[in-house]
This record gives sequence, structure tokens and C-alpha cells, in this order.
Amino acid sequence: MFGIGLPTIVGGLTWSALLSLMGIGITLLYRTTKVPNFAHASFVTTGVYASFTLSLLGFHPYWGILAGFILTGLEALLLFYSILEPLRRRKSSVFILMIGTLAFDILFYGILNIYADYLQTVFKASARAVYLAPKDFSIMGIPGIMFMSLGMLVISVLGLYLLLNRTTVGIALKACMENTALAQTIGVNVSLMLMLSWFIAGGIAGISGALLPMYIETSPDIGVLLVAEMFCVSILGGLEQVYGAPLGGFLMGFAEVVLTSWLASEVGPWIISYTPLLPLGAMALTLIFIPKGLATIKIRRREG
Amino acid sequence: MLKVKNLNSGYGKLHVLYDVSLECEKGEIISVIGPNGAGKTTLLNSIFGIANIYSGSITIDGKETTRLPAYVISRMGVAYVLQMLNVFAQLTVEENLRISAAYSKVKDINKATEKIYEIFPILRERKKQLVGTLSGGERQMLAISIGLIRNPKILLLDEPTAGLMPLYVKMIANKIKEIRDMRGISIILVEQNVQKALELANKVYVLVSGQIIFKGSPSELKEKHEIMKLYLGVGE
Amino acid sequence: MSVWSDIILFTVDLLALFGVYLIINISLNIQRGFAGIPNFGLMFAIAGGAYITGAVATRLALVMLGMHTNLDPIFDNIPVLSKVDPLLQSQSLTSIALMIILLIIGAIFGAILGLIQLGPAIRLREDYLAITLLAFAEMINVIAVAYKPFIGGITGVQVPDVFAWSGEYRFYIATAAILVVAAISYVYAEFLGRSPLGRTMKAIRENEVAAMALGKNLVKYRAIAMVIGSAFCGMAGVLWTLYGDTVTPTYHRFYWTFLPWLMVLLGGLGNNKGALLGTLVFTVLDKLIIYYKHSLAGMLPFDVVWLDQVLLGLITAIILIYRPQGLLEEKPYVPKELEAKLKSIEKK
Repeated sequence: MFGIGLPTIVGGLTWSALLSLMGIGITLLYRTTKVPNFAHASFVTTGVYASFTLSLLGFHPYWGILAGFILTGLEALLLFYSILEPLRRRKSSVFILMIGTLAFDILFYGILNIYADYLQTVFKASARAVYLAPKDFSIMGIPGIMFMSLGMLVISVLGLYLLLNRTTVGIALKACMENTALAQTIGVNVSLMLMLSWFIAGGIAGISGALLPMYIETSPDIGVLLVAEMFCVSILGGLEQVYGAPLGGFLMGFAEVVLTSWLASEVGPWIISYTPLLPLGAMALTLIFIPKGLATIKIRRREG
Repeated sequence: MLKVKNLNSGYGKLHVLYDVSLECEKGEIISVIGPNGAGKTTLLNSIFGIANIYSGSITIDGKETTRLPAYVISRMGVAYVLQMLNVFAQLTVEENLRISAAYSKVKDINKATEKIYEIFPILRERKKQLVGTLSGGERQMLAISIGLIRNPKILLLDEPTAGLMPLYVKMIANKIKEIRDMRGISIILVEQNVQKALELANKVYVLVSGQIIFKGSPSELKEKHEIMKLYLGVGE
Repeated sequence: MSVWSDIILFTVDLLALFGVYLIINISLNIQRGFAGIPNFGLMFAIAGGAYITGAVATRLALVMLGMHTNLDPIFDNIPVLSKVDPLLQSQSLTSIALMIILLIIGAIFGAILGLIQLGPAIRLREDYLAITLLAFAEMINVIAVAYKPFIGGITGVQVPDVFAWSGEYRFYIATAAILVVAAISYVYAEFLGRSPLGRTMKAIRENEVAAMALGKNLVKYRAIAMVIGSAFCGMAGVLWTLYGDTVTPTYHRFYWTFLPWLMVLLGGLGNNKGALLGTLVFTVLDKLIIYYKHSLAGMLPFDVVWLDQVLLGLITAIILIYRPQGLLEEKPYVPKELEAKLKSIEKK
């Protein structure tokens, strides 16, 4: 098939699922708190070090999924309570909230680097080049990370869907997304709902981070390197649409892995060094021409 | 029931209300009228804990509620129907009602929903529809229902008839009376439509530039030609 | 004696960093503080200025010195410079002229990049716009790394040393050059803030609808702010490259976008004194941490530079929460004759 091998497809699926997991949280937070969360970078990195630490302690890295979910969820709560709630109470603008998430991200970037240095000096572990794929299982030659990442994506999306449509808390959360003032008047504790959304979004970012070193080599910089791409996924899918992120994730993941590999064989390998332009360009163009994201195009057609 | 005493409030540095006092007994309809920008909505916001209160006190059944967060006041039996954006457009009619009931003291949500449909039969027909598809009048009925389903002691209504067709204005007005008679709840009604406000109210407060300049029955107010003409634009 | 020279070196290095950041922060102040553009892509024009210097400086020097060579100024960078630099060292006037021409090129290139950023700037909401501009800025690095003939790919290029003529005073002169441009940009921004143009920008920032109702063309004023700001950023990139006489495509949004933002927020948005103060506090802090890094090294099980980030994040969060207006609050500028009029009205 166009000279694209199975490993490329597997890689494309894995990367798409990982990107989707990163994007979901950004979209969810944008819907609830209206803030583009720059701290998603350190959320993901925290997940990476959750599974790395566990593997150092002798556990299988996949236990990091659980640890990453909880740890990063708590980290998100810390951001919410220490910075965002005080700012929200001051009625700060969205832009200031965004700078707040950025400040938190810089702070945690420092902390994660200190932690990595610490692991390096104390455990003599290669904490600045974390790659755990050798510990992965495989089914019929296909690396386990593909099944795990797709599985976690399905679980996250399904869980989110059930929460938002089948539970009272979820419907209240949806109510908060639409109109916080009105949600308040019907007795919903908005701050509690936002807290919930931060825990979930942070947790899912932690899951993606925990899975990441099974697929690529990571370092304390990984979140910072990927954050523009995470935004791209979320924006491409549509910030107004909770389930848009997987759409953006698969488009971007396949474009980056499969399309690039095809282009490299057709046009020449020099094109690979231009790959990072893909998400950035796609994001800029989406924002300029369809700022509400691809997911809205479908809806427009249905209505019309 | 509800007592507001010497209230000074506003938003941040913007002082809106000056020494406002107001009392509302059980089963009463109180109309607050006054020109644009007089602070009518701010009064409701203050009672509901959204505005900043600088001094004064608000009590409900003797319990101090000044500076409590809005959701707590709401759970104490105060329902607030906002003037704008007062329904969740992305939820269905039924979801709107159920979510409101779920965060109140109402136990049997199904029964409460049924009762609402008896008052506003049109909502039953629309119950599976997304609220974004409803007409303005239907939305207003739903907005009141969202407040009503919570079985409140006090209902705060911010211009429920603004921008509606005359037919709906009449209907909503009748419903407001009906609700009071049926449930014995107190209603604080902020209105631009002076005629309607006087027709419904047991007591009227006239609010001008953040101060109460008149308090009394509707018939007493009609005698005060000065106020009627100057501030409310009614009269010869 | 050595302590004394240490302090002097420290100060000179500090002043150079301070000067470059001051230019950038003044530019940010014009864009965000005056015109309300949330430029999260400051790095675009800064890196643009730096990379264009890398791309043209050696070629330009060859032309100005009247030299001919078959070697490529980018790919055979070192051999070419080994011929250019000694000649340039003996010609101070040519060196200065080269620097000024490079500054002009950097400003023009920066302004062009600003115009490119303007596409999204006039049609997007604040938060979307910030992210779009950030994406734009990242792209210039991708291109600079991938397209080798530009500045030689990831390894970068050296540029002719335009300060070599000053011999042992090289770094003093280079720092002085940076400070001169910084002073010019500061004075210009002060002047702009008081001019009708600057006041119109601020009016737009405060209330777009009201400004439009007064017949102000939003797009035009935003474009002006963007172009002026980006031109300054371009010059900052040129100066920083000439100061270190080398450039690599590793300009990072942390240092060249986020830090300027934090500095301006620290000082107080919309006022130049605030930008000045914020820049000073930050650069001194940064340099002190690096300076004391060596004495702390070995005592802690991690690299001390990371404390820099921790501190930075903390300070910013504290400022946002407890002093959102920054250290110095923006004061509205009232022209003298208007002030007199207002006073006479008050008296009546």
C-alpha cells in the first residue's frame, strides 16, 4: 500500500492515540475554565516520570498509567487551587489565567528537572533519556504500546462520555461549561465542578505521559517540546467540542507519521526535517480560517 | 421572611446600592421598579450573593446570608431567574429541569418535573428538544420553571417579560400570580413594565440611583404623580 | 584586583543582557501595553533578526571590504571569516557601518515578520491569537534548522566581529552599542506613549467598540504597533548575534517570549518605567543565580540553574495574584495644556 509498511501504520496509530490523550485535557479545560492550559506540558512530563520512577523501583512501567493519572491529577488540582482559583476570584481575564498556567508550567519544569537530576545522581539512572520500550510486551510482533495507547484513549473518551451524559455531576459539569453564572443560580458549586475537570484533564495528560516513554525517548523537556503540538491537536479538533481532540489527534498523528514517511520515500528524506511545520502550520491555518475547529464543520452541514 | 437592612453593595470599586432596606413576607409579590441603571439587578445579585456587599445585612427566615456563596444561598431556598442567558441551550428541556432539581432539596425529581409540566404544558411537548431550538417565550417559561422546580421559598425574577410578545407577557404575568397562590412562595420581581409590576405586586419599591425613594402599596404609588411621571415615565 | 575585574566583567555582561531585553520588553510594551496585542510570538521577530544577520553578515562584509572568494560564506563559514575578520579589525569605520546596515536590515526583516503575524492579529480573539503567534514563532526555527543554506542548519554560523577593532575593550563597546539602541527605543516609546498615535492605541486597547465608534481604524493602529514592535525585536536579535558573534537556530520561546512577558508583567504593563524596572530586576536575578551557581554546585544533588525556573514561576504567580498591576502601575498621560484646562474647570 503506497510502500507504507505495517510498522508505519502501527506507529501512526500509537502516535495518534497519544496525541489525542494529550489534546483531550486541553479541550476539556478550555470548555470548563476557558483557559488554554500551558501547564499541560509539565502534566505530560510528570506522567513520564511517574512510570520511569516505578520502573526504577522494579514495577512494570505500565503501572505508571495509574500512578501518572493520580499524581498528575493532583498536580492539576494544585495549579487550580494555588493559582487559578485566586485569579478567578479576582475576576482576572482569560489572558491572565493563561499566564498563570504558564508560570506554573515554568515552576514545574524546574521541579521536574531537579527531580531528574536527583534520579541521575542518586539512582545513577539515565533520567535525561528515558526510553522504556525494551520493557514492553508484544502481540504477534506488534508492540504493546499500540494496544495500550488505543485502549487508554477508548477508556478515556468512553468514560468522559458516560460522565457527561449519564451522571448528574456530569450534566452539572456540562451546565458549567455553557454558563457558569446560571449554573450557580441552580445551586451548582462551580468551583467544585472546575476542580473536577482539572483533576480529570490532568489525569488523562498523566496517562499519556506515562505511556510516552514506551514509544519515544523522553526527557524533562518532552512536555515543552510537545506542547505546541498538543494545542494543535486540540485546536484542529475544535476547542468548543469536547470530543474533537481525538479527531485532531488522528489527523495530526497520521499526517506526521504516515504521510511524512510516504513523502520521504517519494520526494526524498530531506523532507523529514520539515515535519514539525505540519502541526504548527495546520494549527495556524485552522485558527485563522476555521477558528472553531474541524469538528464544527460537520455540525454546520447537519444544521443546514 | 427576607429582610435586607441598610445594604451597601456594588461590584469591586463601583458602589451601586446605598442604604437599601427591603422586607418581604411569605406569599407576597414585591415589585422593584425604577429607571435603567438604578441598581435593580444589583439588588437581586446582592441578595443572591453575586455582588460585593460592603455593609448591611441580608437574612432569610432570620438566618444571616450576607456574603455566603451563591450556590449555598441557592440551596437555602432562593431561586434566581436571570434576565439573560437563563437556560442551558445545549441541554434538553428535561435535562435543564432535572439538573436544577438535583441540586436542590427536592427528593422526588420525577414528581417535581411532572408538576412543572402541569403548570407549563408546552414544556412537556418540548421535553426532549435542545433548548437552543425553543422560542423566546418558551425559554422564559423554562427559565421560571428551572427556578420553580427547586421548590424555593423565595423566587427572584429579573424582568421576566422583557422582550416578549404581549401575548406571552400576559401569560407569564398570570402564571406568576398562579405560582404565588398555589405554593405560597415570596416573589421579588424586578420589572421595567410598570403597569404589569403594579398589577401583580402587593408592595412596590421604587429604586432610583441606588436608593429607595418610595415604598408602599401599588395604589399609594399611583397617587404619587410626581414619582410616576419623573422616574417611571407614566402619567399625564 | 581580580575581584575588581570580576565585578566589571559581571556588570558589563549584565548590562548587555539588560539592554537586549529592554529593547524587546519595550517592544512588547508597545504591542501589548499600548495596542493590546497579546504577542506570544515575540521570538518570531527576534530570531528573525538574529538569523538574517547570520545569513547576510558575512556576505555583506565581503562586499564592503571589496573581497572576492570562491568559498561559500555559509558552508565554508570559518575559512571565509578567517580572511574577513583580520581586515575588518583594522577598519573601525567599515565595522560600524556594517553594524548599522545590519541593524537596518534586521529592523526591516523584523517588520516584515510583524506584517506576516498581522494576518491572524486582526481577526482572532485574544487567547487564540496568542497561541497562533506562538506557532508562527516556532516555525522560524524549524525552517532555520531544516534549510541549511540559510544559517547552516543546527550548527549555525559565525558572523564577522564588528567590534574587533576595539581590541581588549570589545565587550565594553559591544555593550555600549546595545545600550545606545536600548536608550533610543526607550525614548521613542516614551514619546509614542504621549503622542496622539500612542493614546489612540491605548484607547483601542481599553475599548475596541468605543474606539471604532470614534472612527478609529483598528486594523491600521494594530498594524502600526505590530510593525514598530517587531522592528525593535529584529534589532534586538541583530545586536545579540553581533555581541556573541555567532548564531544558532536554537532561539527558544522560554527565553525570547515567555521571559520578556514575565518581566513586563513584573514591572507593570503599559508603562515604560515598569518595563525598565522589570527588566532590571529579572536580569540581575538571573545573572546572580548563574554567578553563584558555581559556589553552590556540589552542595546540591542537582544543577542550580533549575532553581532559576522555580523562582521565576513562583515570582510570576505571586505577582499575578497579589499585584496584578505590576510593580509600577500605568498612569494615564494627560498633556499639560489639557491638565491646565481640567484644573480651571474644577475650580469653577
